[in-house]
Amino acid sequence: MSRYEVAFRVNGEERRDSVRGEDTLLRTLRELGHVDVKTSCEAGDCGACAVLLDGEAVNACLVLTAQADGCEIVTVRGIGTEGNLHPIQRQIVEKGGVQCGFCTPGIVVAAKALLDRNPAPSLEDIRRGLAGNLCRCTGYQKLFEAIVAAALEMRG
Amino acid sequence: MTERIETRVVGARLPFVDGVEKVTGATQYVADLRLPGMLTGMALRSPHPHARILQVDTSRAERLTGVHAVLSRKNTPPNRFGINHKDETAFCREKVRYIGDEVAAVAAVDEETAREALALIQVEYELLPAVTDPFLALAGGVPPVHEDIQGNIASQFHVVRGEVDAAFDAADACFEDEFHTHLAHQAYIEPTGCAATWCPGDEITVWGCLQSVFVIRTFMLSPVMGLAPDKFRVIQTKPGGAFGGKLDVKAALIAAMLSRAAQRPVRFLLSLREDLISMRPRMPVHISLQSAFRKDGKLLGKRVRIVAENGAYSSLSPAIMSSVALRTDNLYRTPAVDIEAKLVYTNICPTGQMRGFGNVQATFAWESHLDNAAAGLGIDPLDLRLRNYVEKGDVTLHGWKIASCGVSDAARYAAGAIGWAEKRKRGGRGRGVGLASTIHVSGNKGFAVELGPDDTEPSSADVRIKEDGKIEVWTGESDLGQGSASVMAYIAAEELALPVEDFEVPPTDTGCMPFGFGAFASRITLIGGNAVKIAAGEARKALLRAAGEVLETSPEELVVEGREIAVKGFPSRRTSVTEVVRAAGGLIQGRGTWLAGGEVLDKKKYGNPSTTYSFATHAAEVEVDLETGIVTVLRVTAGHDPGRVINCLGAEGQVEGGAVQAMSYCLMEGLFPEEGRIRGANFHDYLIATSLDVPPVEYQFFETIDPHGPYGAKGLAETAINPTAAAIANAVFHATGARIHTLPLTPERVLEAIEAARAKRQ
Repeated sequence: MSRYEVAFRVNGEERRDSVRGEDTLLRTLRELGHVDVKTSCEAGDCGACAVLLDGEAVNACLVLTAQADGCEIVTVRGIGTEGNLHPIQRQIVEKGGVQCGFCTPGIVVAAKALLDRNPAPSLEDIRRGLAGNLCRCTGYQKLFEAIVAAALEMRG
Repeated sequence: MTERIETRVVGARLPFVDGVEKVTGATQYVADLRLPGMLTGMALRSPHPHARILQVDTSRAERLTGVHAVLSRKNTPPNRFGINHKDETAFCREKVRYIGDEVAAVAAVDEETAREALALIQVEYELLPAVTDPFLALAGGVPPVHEDIQGNIASQFHVVRGEVDAAFDAADACFEDEFHTHLAHQAYIEPTGCAATWCPGDEITVWGCLQSVFVIRTFMLSPVMGLAPDKFRVIQTKPGGAFGGKLDVKAALIAAMLSRAAQRPVRFLLSLREDLISMRPRMPVHISLQSAFRKDGKLLGKRVRIVAENGAYSSLSPAIMSSVALRTDNLYRTPAVDIEAKLVYTNICPTGQMRGFGNVQATFAWESHLDNAAAGLGIDPLDLRLRNYVEKGDVTLHGWKIASCGVSDAARYAAGAIGWAEKRKRGGRGRGVGLASTIHVSGNKGFAVELGPDDTEPSSADVRIKEDGKIEVWTGESDLGQGSASVMAYIAAEELALPVEDFEVPPTDTGCMPFGFGAFASRITLIGGNAVKIAAGEARKALLRAAGEVLETSPEELVVEGREIAVKGFPSRRTSVTEVVRAAGGLIQGRGTWLAGGEVLDKKKYGNPSTTYSFATHAAEVEVDLETGIVTVLRVTAGHDPGRVINCLGAEGQVEGGAVQAMSYCLMEGLFPEEGRIRGANFHDYLIATSLDVPPVEYQFFETIDPHGPYGAKGLAETAINPTAAAIANAVFHATGARIHTLPLTPERVLEAIEAARAKRQ
């Protein structure tokens, strides 16, 4: 079976791997230990595996690892960690936009991509920005509030 | 009203105790677990809804390099399990009974090898006619789903109370309707999975996204594997959503059996497809209702006929059917009922419990019917309800004791906030408002007998103050993401008067934690919360006793300030909590046990099953496109009586999320088996509400301060989902004059009903 040598950066760190052509970025990232990227539908429907690929939010289950060669990848842990929360993360916690937490890494990634390209989104923009991320617990309302608050905070 | 106690932490707007770990992706779900030498488990599932197994040949799979265990009927015990009926085995024996039924399983070094091994297993089937229509299954002349069960009836009962015929004879008006609800999946985002590791001496540790770590040992692992329950240590990994679906998790059994056979750790994770076709989705029911009313709106009696779809195995379906049958009679003063219910085996996936436990289906039917009755009586639907609601102090005709009740306030709020008085005047033309109410248990004694050590429905907790000053709350009750860990932390922090950020509530673990039934029946806040409150009170006493020794004074003279303990009136005589714990040997703890109130129902299903009951009313405003039949929910307003709110953000999240889940169930989602086959078992066919679909949800809590609950709190998770589907259907009725009797309210059904209503008017 042919294998491909790939190199990319994940959360600022250089990673190298030898992968098969059919390996998805989701599988590779999780095998490399980035289990903050979650597996659910594996068909691009739920957004649980969303990561930033060169700044764009993508579903890692729909990207072949070979396609990510040379790319800059950011997962939720590249956006913020326990001692150093990103405003999006802090606001989701403070507004109560997290329940089971399984969709949350993907939501944080989608929200980051949204605020990067649109620092002052309307409610409609936020709804569209999260349209690829399924959340079964919250009903989304507190996520909308959190993203509005994060955008305000980030604009200063 | 019971006195309201002023609190510092309870009810405050605080973040979840595990919010930060979740929002940074640090939480470990079962799929994130790595055990040394861990194998991948995978199941071979039946492709047929009903077939006899003539032969299972696993020899080629066994010979494949990298395969460490192959299990099937050939090498596993025939022991049966089941919560209500023992009708299921680990692997299919003589027959397969639904598409997805487990025929075999393998454990291999990796996913590819496991998949290859499954492909090498040869199964010879003799196809049997599939019994998929519950009415045909009852009619006879079809093969039995289970050979030893006559007539395909999994459970049936007939309950008669009061003088029903006399009620109908005396009535000024009688009404009749028939409702049908569909198969709907919990659709949590994390597919179900478990991991297990076997140790010599048959000590097996199981990890998984489980709603109850204790009961899975008692009803599934122990009886099937023939080992004592304490041979299993079951540890919860935080579930990525559950909603009832992760109570009865066969993956725990398969992981444990594979691990024992392979003598290696095994992880057994379902794909989303497997989860959607083989777990226990919400039971479809067919409900026929007749009601008798006096012209002033007084309810006189009901006749109810229920046919419920059990699917291939029973799981909790008999108990769910009871809930469907009896629940709404306790929300309104009902003088007489005649209820006949049948639960029918079919060759579809085993149906089961999803948030609401039958109450969603019952509430959809009864609350829709009630609006039809209101229309027939010429009484406003809100008024009709207000004239019939139960009240505090009532004992209902089924024997339920109503200890606190805020349903009237909840209904007035929901109606007022939706603009009821004004908008009800302007029905028709595609815009309308509707409402519906609900009652729900906070725990259920029925399960205590099936699942527990005895009928006391106990919950226990340990509150442990450690040397580093952190306080762990060990409860046997599981957090599913709904925020119950935070509920427990806030209660313990309130009682101990220590900073809330010092509290931790680890996932449940049968290896060290005290017993709890787990998360179902909206029981945790009331039952588990009371146990934690007692435990924290005991821990406080122990802490002050130990501090008294350090400070050489009596505990009564001490006061807790921040992380320190001082002598009242002598602020310089103080010590720290950590110092006290060190002096006491490194750990100070308190234990609490609380036994639920209520009683086990008698043979005629009479009795008070829960300590107390919660109430809610939801109202919805909809717009119906009269050309396309598309229903848009513009707004939901929700009045709730949860006794008292402990976790403020959690309570709000339950109501927002519950209303949205119900809307999704009512309008969008469903599994629709054709001849037992579920097509589109994925999230592009199984449509759950996205951020583009959701209406704003407004709410208010009416805190009735229940006499039995911790600080007066009752359950909330299920009242939050029960009434919304009916409220939407009633709003559609108001908007169009069309009553839709079948869920979901698809555009086709809506158009058909509008057409039928138009034809009827002409």
